[in-house]
Amino acid sequence: MIRKESFLLQTVGGENLLVPVGAQVMDTNGIITLNETAAFIWDLLEKDCTIDDLAAAIADRFEVTMEQAVSDVRSFVDKLDQNGLLE
Amino acid sequence: MSKLTDDYGTFVSKLQRIAAERCQPLSGTFELTGRCNHACSMCYISRPVSDSAAIVRELSADIWIEIARQAKDEGMLFLLLTGGEIFVLPDFFEIYRPLTGMGFLISLYTNATLVTDSIADKLAETPPHRIEVSLYGANTRTYETVTRVPGSFKRCMKGIEALVKRDINVGLKATITRQNVDELDAMQKMARHWGLPFTASWLLTRRADGMPSEIEECRLTPSEAIAIEASDPYAVEEWCGGGVVSKTDNFYCQAGRASFVIDFTGAMNVCSDFPAPGAKVPDIGFRKAWEELRRFVEGAPKLSAECLDCDVIKYCAICPAWSYLENGKMAGSVDYLCSIAHERKKRYESQK
Repeated sequence: MIRKESFLLQTVGGENLLVPVGAQVMDTNGIITLNETAAFIWDLLEKDCTIDDLAAAIADRFEVTMEQAVSDVRSFVDKLDQNGLLE
Repeated sequence: MSKLTDDYGTFVSKLQRIAAERCQPLSGTFELTGRCNHACSMCYISRPVSDSAAIVRELSADIWIEIARQAKDEGMLFLLLTGGEIFVLPDFFEIYRPLTGMGFLISLYTNATLVTDSIADKLAETPPHRIEVSLYGANTRTYETVTRVPGSFKRCMKGIEALVKRDINVGLKATITRQNVDELDAMQKMARHWGLPFTASWLLTRRADGMPSEIEECRLTPSEAIAIEASDPYAVEEWCGGGVVSKTDNFYCQAGRASFVIDFTGAMNVCSDFPAPGAKVPDIGFRKAWEELRRFVEGAPKLSAECLDCDVIKYCAICPAWSYLENGKMAGSVDYLCSIAHERKKRYESQK
């Protein structure tokens, strides 16, 4: 999976904000906030990744078990999909 | 992950507070032109469309885009494009379209009278997050008494229709003057008819460029103004909850801490009302201009002793910009604001 190019990640202080650009504004008018883990996954999704790729990166970065990482990634990816943020 | 809809205003206020603490230029206003196809007597900026002296000083699309790039590097997120009237610019979309791909939350201010189907189509391709359309009356006679341009009411209605038809996020904002104050309710009804949000402002400032102003004939009396304000529960809560003026800062808004304005010549200023310090962004770059603005705001005088000792200061909106525009100095009381503050005190203290 890969993220849509019609969102840009911006930061203000510690806040991670996904801002729709171009025609995407018609469907997503406003800001989407991401926590630190979600923003990390969003960055990785610039390139095509599998759930396992993402989970391995999360487990490595945040020192959680692979099982927990897979669960977190699945949950976040579902939300991305529901909000139309994936290609 | 959360999408902000209901609590958007609260979240934006939080971002502005964070930005102000970090001195990050979060909110920018680009005044793309000072020219307008209307000739409203209360306007603080307007110049004729054919003003050749203004045209030659306007920045090219390339320069605006370069300024935006630099502003983004420094942390700009919210961008307002305004004038004058933005659609008098033949190269408006050469400026606008690249900006829509840069990750800003863009708002446009327009009177909508130049919004044709073709322009509305182009906006719908890459829509702004919000378009605020200025409204000056609920019928031809009143609207055109304010704008002094025949045919402008009909063109405004057509422009709004064109935007609404394309599902672009539009809001109506009425500028209330003595000439249209009796139509406030009718203007609100117009907004309801289209299902659009509506705001009204009545606090009119003088021209910042020192050119003659007919503001005295347009401003509401303090009792008229506060009668309108008192119908807005948010405004009442703000004033009854301690007011807006800080006794320790000079500008109580975020000017020079989290916000800035760049005028049509490329000069960065505190706000649209106050043309200072005039740091030339195209010459010195965004970062140095922002630093100059911050120094200017930090060095501006705080409340005068007269204002600090005043018993209606918590009901007053005095700031260095108002003092300068009315009295030529950056501190000291302003008669019109004093009268309004006294009216607020009378009205709101009797409500407690």
